[in-house]
Amino acid sequence: MADELYLENIDEFVTDQNRVVTYKWLSFTLGVHVNQAKQMLYDYVERKRKENSGAQLHVTYLVAGNLLQNGHVCHKVAVVREDKLEAVKSRLSSLASVHVYSIQKALLKDSSPLYNTDYDIVKTNLQHCSKFSAIRCAAAVARPPPEAPPAPPPGAQGQREPGASTANGHGPAAARAPPQQRGIAGMFAARAAPRDTPRDGRAEPRDAPGVSAASSKPPTKNSIMNNFFGKAAMNKLKANSVPEQPKEEKEAVKPSVAVAEPESSPSSVAEKPGKKAESAGIQQKDKKSKTKRADRSDEEEERDPENVQKRRRRIKQLQSDSSDDEDVPPSPTPEEERAPSPAPAPAPKAELEPAPTEVPAAGRKRKRKRVLKSKMFIDEEEGCMVTEKVYESESCTDSEDEFCKPKAPAPHKQPLLPTRRDPKEEKKNLKKGAAPANRANKQVSIMGFFQKK
Amino acid sequence: MFSEQAAPLAQGLLAPPSAEPPTFPRVPVSGYSDCSQPFQLGERGFSRQYAHIYAVRLAGMRPGLERRARSRWGNDIALRKLSELQAGERCCVVGTLFKSMQLQPSILQEISEEHNLVPQPPLPKYIQPSDELMLEDELQRIKLEGAIDVQRLVTGTILAVYGCEQDDGKFLVEDLCFADLPPALPWNGPSSDRFVLLASGLGLGSVSGEALLSTQLLVDVVTGQLGAEGEQSCAAHITRVILAGNLLSQNTQSRDTINKAKYLTKKTQAASVEAVKMLDEILLQLCTSVPVDVMPGEFDPTNYTLPQQPLHRCMLPLASAYATLRLVTNPYQASLDGVRFLGTSGQNISDIFKYSSMDDYLEILEWTLLAGHISPTAPDTLGCYPFYKSDPFILTECPHVYFCGNAPHFQSKLLQGKEGQRVLLVTVPDFSATQTACLVNLRDLTCQPITFSGFGADSED
Repeated sequence: MADELYLENIDEFVTDQNRVVTYKWLSFTLGVHVNQAKQMLYDYVERKRKENSGAQLHVTYLVAGNLLQNGHVCHKVAVVREDKLEAVKSRLSSLASVHVYSIQKALLKDSSPLYNTDYDIVKTNLQHCSKFSAIRCAAAVARPPPEAPPAPPPGAQGQREPGASTANGHGPAAARAPPQQRGIAGMFAARAAPRDTPRDGRAEPRDAPGVSAASSKPPTKNSIMNNFFGKAAMNKLKANSVPEQPKEEKEAVKPSVAVAEPESSPSSVAEKPGKKAESAGIQQKDKKSKTKRADRSDEEEERDPENVQKRRRRIKQLQSDSSDDEDVPPSPTPEEERAPSPAPAPAPKAELEPAPTEVPAAGRKRKRKRVLKSKMFIDEEEGCMVTEKVYESESCTDSEDEFCKPKAPAPHKQPLLPTRRDPKEEKKNLKKGAAPANRANKQVSIMGFFQKK
Repeated sequence: MFSEQAAPLAQGLLAPPSAEPPTFPRVPVSGYSDCSQPFQLGERGFSRQYAHIYAVRLAGMRPGLERRARSRWGNDIALRKLSELQAGERCCVVGTLFKSMQLQPSILQEISEEHNLVPQPPLPKYIQPSDELMLEDELQRIKLEGAIDVQRLVTGTILAVYGCEQDDGKFLVEDLCFADLPPALPWNGPSSDRFVLLASGLGLGSVSGEALLSTQLLVDVVTGQLGAEGEQSCAAHITRVILAGNLLSQNTQSRDTINKAKYLTKKTQAASVEAVKMLDEILLQLCTSVPVDVMPGEFDPTNYTLPQQPLHRCMLPLASAYATLRLVTNPYQASLDGVRFLGTSGQNISDIFKYSSMDDYLEILEWTLLAGHISPTAPDTLGCYPFYKSDPFILTECPHVYFCGNAPHFQSKLLQGKEGQRVLLVTVPDFSATQTACLVNLRDLTCQPITFSGFGADSED
């Protein structure tokens, strides 16, 4: 019979599973009204005791009623053990309700198992916790959704303005996580689809927890180095990360090469989160590197021309410094390199000049500092390393000041550098040149010796 | 009383399961309006001095006090400003009280190096026999002596004193009067029993879990899960639940991040995070069944200065999905079913308790009503926003129910005013300590405490 079913259930819960069966737990488990659950419990207790008077069964009751206390009539609601039931009932002036609260096999020392049972069952049924209750409230309806605006869209909007996003430094993090993968995919797309969010991630002048959308090898290497060096060295690193970026981006220009890049990106992506605990300045620089990287794949034209411009100048400097190139070949070569690049590149270049000036102004959170840095490069003609102290302007974006100064030592070095004008080779040279230069510039410790060979 | 009609059905559930058990609809909300706009701050600027709030307080209360003074001491008494006082002339002066107390904590003294003082530990009361009272108005101040209870009064009260200036420059007080009860509001209360549950000091996040079962029992009674049918039908008449502050326990206020080293606290979560999650679940259970108004308190994650702004709904994602949840300010004023409620989470009363000889929370509550101001000690010893246009704590209308939360025990009193005002004063006890909440019957302005208890190893009633 259907009636007997609940008795068996309760029997199983109490005896076999050794549970504390409260009325609320039973109500949710069997899906019945709370009052029915209370009556079921009572019924079970009565029958069990009739069958077997020595049954190992302890019952707690809920007693509620009025009590005269401290001069006023107080309504008291108490959970009592069976043995105290009559005592409590007698103390009440008027009884409002009595029912079974719970059944369990063991004698309870205190009421915390009751609380825990109720808490657990309510926790698992939070969404319809009043389903079996005796009171229905018509006013308890969910608020219409527009009243609760989702966080990511406003967060993404906020990131578009470079300056406006610092307040919600943590807000858009959720929006940034998906764009990271899309940013990597963006390399494949070769900027075909504008990627706003990676750019937005970089629009943040500051912390981008694990923004690895455009991570590439040099930032990775930079990160490795970061672990050894402090911020001072990072300032030098920044200068070198920039020259490495242009190579990266040139490679990205060629889709075939771009294939290789994303593969490096995941590895660097993996390392990137690990390197997160760096100074803000380092993150800035990394972001700038990524900025350059992913600039190709999104539509932020104000950055693009600036980076392109820097790229151009950087490459010139590197080529002149490290690969003994002649003056003339380096200059057309970057342009050659750029010729195969997709259309947006020349267009951004046109906007190069006005853009860089406005970009630093547009809501940069970091001020420009002029930092005295030592620049080291290899002078192969004389077979020595040259250290030069140069004032550089350091900010979120590379400033143009840096470009001007290296040009001064560069010209007299250029005729001495050997010419290797194969684009791929040049890239390799750039890489090599940049890499040792990178190392060299960072060489405040002995690590530089190991890379140079 | 709450469940008198429940008695016949009390033992009804001690029976085998019957037919489909009844469900009772919650009495619908009729006539709710939130009147706490003066306590809601929009753009806040803290660059102003606090002198302005005293100036607007005096300017706002002066007309009412002058009226009271005339009605009490005759229409022909001389109302003087302090600058117009003449020695020996009996007159009435309206001004702000200032009590200079030696033991009053003063940050300037504490940080002063010449005194070399160790910061004073917090005392329950800072009063001393040597305290002095001064009366200040817009321009001057004068010391008060005579028939005035120095210990009982606190700084910031606006009052009218009647007496004369002595030759030594002090004012000898013969009589004084306060603003007394504000004008009454018309009564539109319900004709049938409607209850409002007032609870405060849930104290979630505390180390001890004794009050947790009682909190769960409270929620179950209100949502109609607990009790026999009679009690459940009575519980369906509870139209609203007001939680008056201190939803979180004081234990969640640990300032480890300030005191401890960063490497020790780097990955630790603030205690209030867990507590707020628990609060969210409790509020969700309540909100699915009854409208709830949540007021912040001293230990809740909102601003410190009065008026405290509502808790932000992003902290309560589950519960704030329901329209029945209302996050409100402290102090809170609202009209429920035609009955005007006004109350605070208790910071104003406990602050007066510290600086006055009055010991009884109910007595202090009544005194603030008679003084015409919710919190006279703000901003002197209680943090307050620097108002400058008007003081929102001045009582302009007499509420029907005036409560304060987090009192040591439950007390209630029906105050009758001379002009037909009827106010129910309720001190809502701290639930985590007393496991008691209050049920206010809107029909006849009576209040009944409701206590919850479980059983412990040593339990004895």
